[in-house]
Amino acid sequence: MLPAMLRRLIVLCATLAWAATARAEPETVRVGVLAYLGSERAARDWEPTLAHLERAIPDRRFVTLPLDLPGMVLAVADRRVDFVITNPGSYVTLEARFAVTRIATLESGLPAFPIAAVGSTIIRRADQPAIRKLADLKGKRLAVVSTDAFGGFQIAWREMEEAGVNPFTDLAALVAVGFPMEGVVDAVRDGAADAGVLRACLLEELEAQGRIAPGAFVVVGERQSDGPQADAPPCRVSSRLYPDWPFARLAHTSRDLARQVAAALLTMPATDGRAWTASLDYTTVHELFRKLHIGPYPKTPPTLEEILRRNWHWLALAGVAALWWVIHAARVEVLVRRRTAELVHEIAERERAEATALRLREERDQLSRLGIVGEMASTIAHELNQPLAAIGNFAGGMTRLLDAPAPDLERLRIGARSVVEQAERAAAIIQRTRGFVSRRGAQRSTLSINAVVAETLSLFGAPSDLQRPIATELAADLPPVQADKVELQQVLLNLLQNAVDATPSADGGAIAVRTALSDGMVLIEMRDCGSGASDEARTRMFEPFFTTKPDGLGLGLSICRTIVERHGGRIWAAPSAPRGLAVRFTLPPVANSPANSPIEENHA
Amino acid sequence: MTDAPLVLVVDDDEAIRGSVGYLLGSVGIACESFASAEAFLGSPHLRPPLRPGCVLLDVRMPGMSGIELLRHLKERGCKRPIIMITGHGDVPLAVAALKGGAEDFIEKPWKDQALLDAVNAAIRKCRDVLARSAGREAVEARLAQLSRREREVLTLVLDGRQNKEIATAMSISVKTVEGHRQMVMEKMAARSVAELARLMLAPGERV
Repeated sequence: MLPAMLRRLIVLCATLAWAATARAEPETVRVGVLAYLGSERAARDWEPTLAHLERAIPDRRFVTLPLDLPGMVLAVADRRVDFVITNPGSYVTLEARFAVTRIATLESGLPAFPIAAVGSTIIRRADQPAIRKLADLKGKRLAVVSTDAFGGFQIAWREMEEAGVNPFTDLAALVAVGFPMEGVVDAVRDGAADAGVLRACLLEELEAQGRIAPGAFVVVGERQSDGPQADAPPCRVSSRLYPDWPFARLAHTSRDLARQVAAALLTMPATDGRAWTASLDYTTVHELFRKLHIGPYPKTPPTLEEILRRNWHWLALAGVAALWWVIHAARVEVLVRRRTAELVHEIAERERAEATALRLREERDQLSRLGIVGEMASTIAHELNQPLAAIGNFAGGMTRLLDAPAPDLERLRIGARSVVEQAERAAAIIQRTRGFVSRRGAQRSTLSINAVVAETLSLFGAPSDLQRPIATELAADLPPVQADKVELQQVLLNLLQNAVDATPSADGGAIAVRTALSDGMVLIEMRDCGSGASDEARTRMFEPFFTTKPDGLGLGLSICRTIVERHGGRIWAAPSAPRGLAVRFTLPPVANSPANSPIEENHA
Repeated sequence: MTDAPLVLVVDDDEAIRGSVGYLLGSVGIACESFASAEAFLGSPHLRPPLRPGCVLLDVRMPGMSGIELLRHLKERGCKRPIIMITGHGDVPLAVAALKGGAEDFIEKPWKDQALLDAVNAAIRKCRDVLARSAGREAVEARLAQLSRREREVLTLVLDGRQNKEIATAMSISVKTVEGHRQMVMEKMAARSVAELARLMLAPGERV
């Protein structure tokens, strides 16, 4: 055996050496073999077949060309081989791409039960019952020889896919132990893997050789063999059966040679458990590859349906997300609209409130104006009442005197004179008040403050009438001031009235008006003996609407301040000794005016 | 003591005082005026003997106000009716015046006739009061002339007792009773028991 093999190797080497120098030789037939276990093993495995072919076809020399899977494709593409022996997976690729045609199918298996089919057997240890069916492989460790192996993995892969287990994602581990395939058995037995994939019948071979104890391993997902080999004696398999390795010719190989080779193969006796039978249908292999998207059937762009089916949860998630987004966007939109509406409403509300406040303020101003007018009207009415009542009395009396048989002319004259006096008095009141009522532009003139004070006191009322003496301390030689007389009178009258109001009627407290020169300014002071004012009241009493009187408007002192400040002076309040309040205001003297310069005489 | 009426005017306004005096004088009513409450309180006219008349009092016056003066006068038992002079629209003051016992109030400015009517009505009232007051004083004076026995007899007579019953009650003779009774009728200037009873009842109404 060994010398023959060595000879073949030598021939092979020589052929290769020759081929490098001379392109082709008609007598030599090159057979490419898939050397998945290495060149040496490949040469050894197929040596009987090639020896048989040389015997059957003496005018040809058959040499093997060991190739790996990519090398196989390249050799076929370059027509460097005339025939190929390769696994079903490789074959269908070559068939699809290079019109390679099978002429025979390998028949292997147990010596006692030769079958022309490959399948996969998934085993587990009998004492590890957790895995009962293929679906149970999920999350387990699976030992395989190689993920490129056809019977050793790809066939089982399809079955697992159909059971819902993706060997590349759903397993805890996919352990590639490499050839020989017995290593898978060792891995399962040693616990390195929970299950392992064997080609069909290997389990039975090992048991037959006594290398493993029968019953030590259990087949997972065992199924009855079906298909073309329905009559074949069954090995225990976990998968469908597929046709075994084909012997195939290339497109350029002559038909005669192919027929001769085919005939020779079919007549070859079984050697080492290998024999050749009529070429089988490889459609099932195509189907397998199409399913797994491997070999000649690379992954095609998935159909929409597939995408939907495969990614339904992602799509559902995306759908939910999209729906959420739509709802969120709608909700945001609704909120924005609502907030906008609220804002518009709020703005309108605020504008309305401001308009209301403005209206109220105007009404209040109007009311205070009315209040001033009303107060003034009341004062005028009260003052006018006196002369009017007197006139009525005099006139009534005169009428009655005239009815007497001998009217007393002297008394009538007195009456008439009194009526005239009272009418003049009424006219004076009206004349006096008109100055306050009518709006008039400021009329500044050079005034003696003492004269203005004296006149104001006479306007205010006779001291005897008041029952409160008003003391005057008027400084002589005061410089004149440039001022509006009516406005000054208004200030003085206001301060006088306040002083009177603040002084209790019972104990006749004195009110004093004082004028003086203070720090170059003309100072006027109004002093009362009332209860005084708190610090807070003193600082606030010149603010508008500040009042301590029950029915006061709080405008008098505010107007006073306006007038005084308009004249360039200032007004303030201070406690008066021993009690009461002193309100003082200053006015600037006329510039460069000597104190004794002639000043305008003022008359009411 | 003259029976001619006298009107007392209290007003701080000189023109009012003068004109009221002028008007009253035109119908023959004497008038005396005062510029303040204090001046009025010092006048001798508030002391008896009183002339019939009334007081015209201004509510608004510096110093003691009209209302204060009114209260003061009422406390002193002033018998003269008091008419208050108020400004136009001084309703609260007018109400206060009437509550304080004022006879009437008159608003300034007034119609001359309205003032005269009010003054005349007040004078009439004053006369009645004084007359009643005078009658009472006369009866009191007559009662003061009775002896203790005569008073007891008077009481029993007014009770409607017969002389005999009075004699028994007082443990004296009927003759003595008759003598006392004669003296009572003379001293009280009553012609009959009925007149005696009227005299004794009338003074009960106090002024």
